[in-house]
Amino acid sequence: MEEKYLSRHFGIDKAYNLDVYEQQGGYSTLPKAFAMDTDAIIAEMKKSNLRGRGGAGFPTGVKWGFMPRDSDVEKYLVVNADEGEPGTFKDRMIMELDPHRLIEGCVMTAWALGLRTGYIFVRGELQLAIRRLEVAIKQAYEKGYLGKNVLGKGLDFDLYVHSSAGAYICGEETGLIEGLEGKPGQPRMKPPFPAIVGVFNKPTLVNNVETIAAVPFILEHGGEHWASMGIERNGGPKLYGLSGHINKPGVYEAPSGITVRELLERFGGGMREGSDLKAFIPGGSSCAVLLPESLDAQMGFETLREAGSSMGTGCITFMDQTTCMVRLSARLAHFYHHESCGQCTPCREGTGWAYKVLNAIEAGQGTPDDLALIQDMITGIAGNTICAHGDSLVIPVRSYIEKFGQEFEDHVQNKRCPFPRWRKMRNTQRMSA
Amino acid sequence: MPVLTINGTEVEVDRGTTLLKAAAVAGYEVPHFCYHPALSSPANCRMCLVEVEGAPKLMPGCYNQVNDGMIVHTESDRVKRARKAVLEFILVNHPVDCPICDKAGECKLQDYYFAYDAQESRMRAEKQHKVKVYPIGPRVVYDGERCILCTRCIRFCEEITGTGELTLADRGDKAEVRTFPGQDLDNDYSLCTVDVCPVGALTSRDFRFKRRVWLLTSTDSVCTGCEMGCNIHLDHFRNTTERYRPRYNPAVNDYWMCDDGRLSYKALNEGRLEHPMLNGAQATWHTIAGAAASKLAAVIEKNGASSVGFVISPQATSEDLFLAKMFAETAIGEGVRLFINGNDPGSSDELLIRADKNPNRAGARLVFGGLDGVGDASALADALEAGELEAVYMMGTELGAARGRVEAGLDDVGLFVLQAAHQGGVLLDAAHVALPAATHAEKRGTFVNCDAVVQTVDQAYPPNADALPDWQIFMKVAGAMGHKLPFTFLRQIQDRMFEASEAPEPEETATEEAPAPAE
Repeated sequence: MEEKYLSRHFGIDKAYNLDVYEQQGGYSTLPKAFAMDTDAIIAEMKKSNLRGRGGAGFPTGVKWGFMPRDSDVEKYLVVNADEGEPGTFKDRMIMELDPHRLIEGCVMTAWALGLRTGYIFVRGELQLAIRRLEVAIKQAYEKGYLGKNVLGKGLDFDLYVHSSAGAYICGEETGLIEGLEGKPGQPRMKPPFPAIVGVFNKPTLVNNVETIAAVPFILEHGGEHWASMGIERNGGPKLYGLSGHINKPGVYEAPSGITVRELLERFGGGMREGSDLKAFIPGGSSCAVLLPESLDAQMGFETLREAGSSMGTGCITFMDQTTCMVRLSARLAHFYHHESCGQCTPCREGTGWAYKVLNAIEAGQGTPDDLALIQDMITGIAGNTICAHGDSLVIPVRSYIEKFGQEFEDHVQNKRCPFPRWRKMRNTQRMSA
Repeated sequence: MPVLTINGTEVEVDRGTTLLKAAAVAGYEVPHFCYHPALSSPANCRMCLVEVEGAPKLMPGCYNQVNDGMIVHTESDRVKRARKAVLEFILVNHPVDCPICDKAGECKLQDYYFAYDAQESRMRAEKQHKVKVYPIGPRVVYDGERCILCTRCIRFCEEITGTGELTLADRGDKAEVRTFPGQDLDNDYSLCTVDVCPVGALTSRDFRFKRRVWLLTSTDSVCTGCEMGCNIHLDHFRNTTERYRPRYNPAVNDYWMCDDGRLSYKALNEGRLEHPMLNGAQATWHTIAGAAASKLAAVIEKNGASSVGFVISPQATSEDLFLAKMFAETAIGEGVRLFINGNDPGSSDELLIRADKNPNRAGARLVFGGLDGVGDASALADALEAGELEAVYMMGTELGAARGRVEAGLDDVGLFVLQAAHQGGVLLDAAHVALPAATHAEKRGTFVNCDAVVQTVDQAYPPNADALPDWQIFMKVAGAMGHKLPFTFLRQIQDRMFEASEAPEPEETATEEAPAPAE
């Protein structure tokens, strides 16, 4: 088995404590990082081919390069730990089991880009992660890894944990920034991007937890080593969260470019007994659904786009033949309706309407016109919104209708859902509008 | 300056101009809800999406700025489809209760629906229900279901008044405009939120259910609530003023006006002096002018012009004041005691509210060449108490705090001529001769505001009952006294007045000079 990086400490008892983390060699790379200057660090980051782990996959080194260099301007680091995408649960593992890794990454990032203040914006529901981070930050302050003059190198860096109120939209970086400023979490118009106008209207670097947690390894072993554990333009190992009708759901570390089949069979233990793979979502609920024929697709941003979906967060949900795709799309629409911030019209009204129509189809009350209506409606949302939240509904629903259109038509024609088990559940599970 | 092509028309605009404004320059209206020319652009309604060649997505015209060489389409099929979709989305949870909505007839959603959507609803499910008839402030009512969440009202309270009472609460299609806990929408300009509301979500408690707006006729006028002289649309129905709405004038009030001024329209309809009155009995203009003339002439003959107190009003138009001056000089004669009445000073602020609650003191100053020797209402009361006046000829009924003393003093004068639009309570009882005057809604004229802007009011409807404009009354009385004043039309007075006072003539209102950006 390959060497572990991101999940190296997951099996070690109390690795969230500073002394255990230090015994394992934690914080030992800091002096090496402090010996490098901004250009050298950004060059390593670019060489590493690390792509943003939050879902959009923007090259991290390039993003860092966008940050203004003038040292007298106040600049902020924001770690996006608002992990709320259905089917995604990788960042919480880092925060809960290895919080010092994240802190070490933050210190290095701050050093690299001259940032004085950092915020870790954690989803409010992740209480354990918040507590572990708070304790870890306290320990790091006591040891001098945070605060004034870190390790005597002249870096002043303060790091804070900010607990969100649990809104999914605050995972969108400008929604997050608004939330951090104490305002309603409503994404901003872009441009300007956060690297120019971010938190408190100052330049801000927003990176995902897993992205920042990778920084210590990249600076320790070099960007080329990190890039070697991957495929073209997608460097380094990554945490994959596997869920659904499989034998061993969980978070596993594997290189970029691994095929979905290998993840399913080697790590996920294959489908459960009696389950046949019907479809899978490769990177969280907002990605298009893929059929078993795409199992050999490699986990990378370009490769999965070629396969007709996207990499997203790299957390894969596998579904078997008992999954009703209409119900799944209705449930997703419910989620995106519930989490729509309400700022712009197409998403605010369209997600709710889509949910109502999909739910009616699932309940056997759909009409033949409804399928065309849904198509029409999501076309009206697509690309017309302030942020990507609306598209996060459009992309999966469009793919379900495209790939499982017959299932939708059956619901309408037979005026019932052909999946009895699911129908039963509908009565017990509340889905209020 | 960047040059861009909009629907095939090349336009050159300043750097930083938004696509929406550039399209207006090219002659194309881009429909919009949340954008307001005086407020920031959140780009949340998505109605103003336009197509820019080379851009993958449609762009909100109110937010994106022009670039040199841009090729923009505001009427392409793609744009039209997006507009139609946005309108359908807005109407998904809108109650479509136009028949009972006060905004019907001047509602952007209605207009745009007919212009850009005009299809039957495809929404079969139950609509989202929200708060109805919520008294969000003492003068404004909120209807959450009609609200399209454009946040114009919120931005108005943040960016214009700076009071920030409003916010968006809840999220998604449950979002509503609310006040912060313990607060009311109770700033001095709260009714402007009704103006900026593109739909019927915010309605004026004063105007609610009073009149279908398409029955109203609108006349350009000026608010007389204070010396600011905010430009207004005076909306009237059957010779009654039903509401004021601010009229865009960047030199005076921009798009706004205060609540007190807006509700001051009520004075146009209430407590009016309808007929000429002679010693408490209704008379006709035929008899009253002669009676007033002979009584006045008798006092002047007996005690001289210096025993006559002539009271002008800072509520009157400059033309009326010009005739008042000629009347005082010719019909009453040298030595006449001049006074000026008017409302007492009140509160003021940085935005539009001015302390002097009279619209034309600056005009009076220009017409009379300064008001140095002219006493105020309390000086009038002093003179009355001292028994210095045998006769008082008064324009208007505004006396402020000196009202009680003036009223008491008037009991003892031999002749009191009241020339006013209102009865003024005790003043009418005390008047030997009462002459009904027209309000500013009933005549043409000019006011000069505190910043020396000369502004015209138009006649909205003919004078109430027997009332006449002040200048015509002065001509009648002066004529009966044998002093024919040489005017037939208002324009003749204006020519003489502007010549005499060297005051600038009223400029054509800014709305006519340059088209105001669409609200």
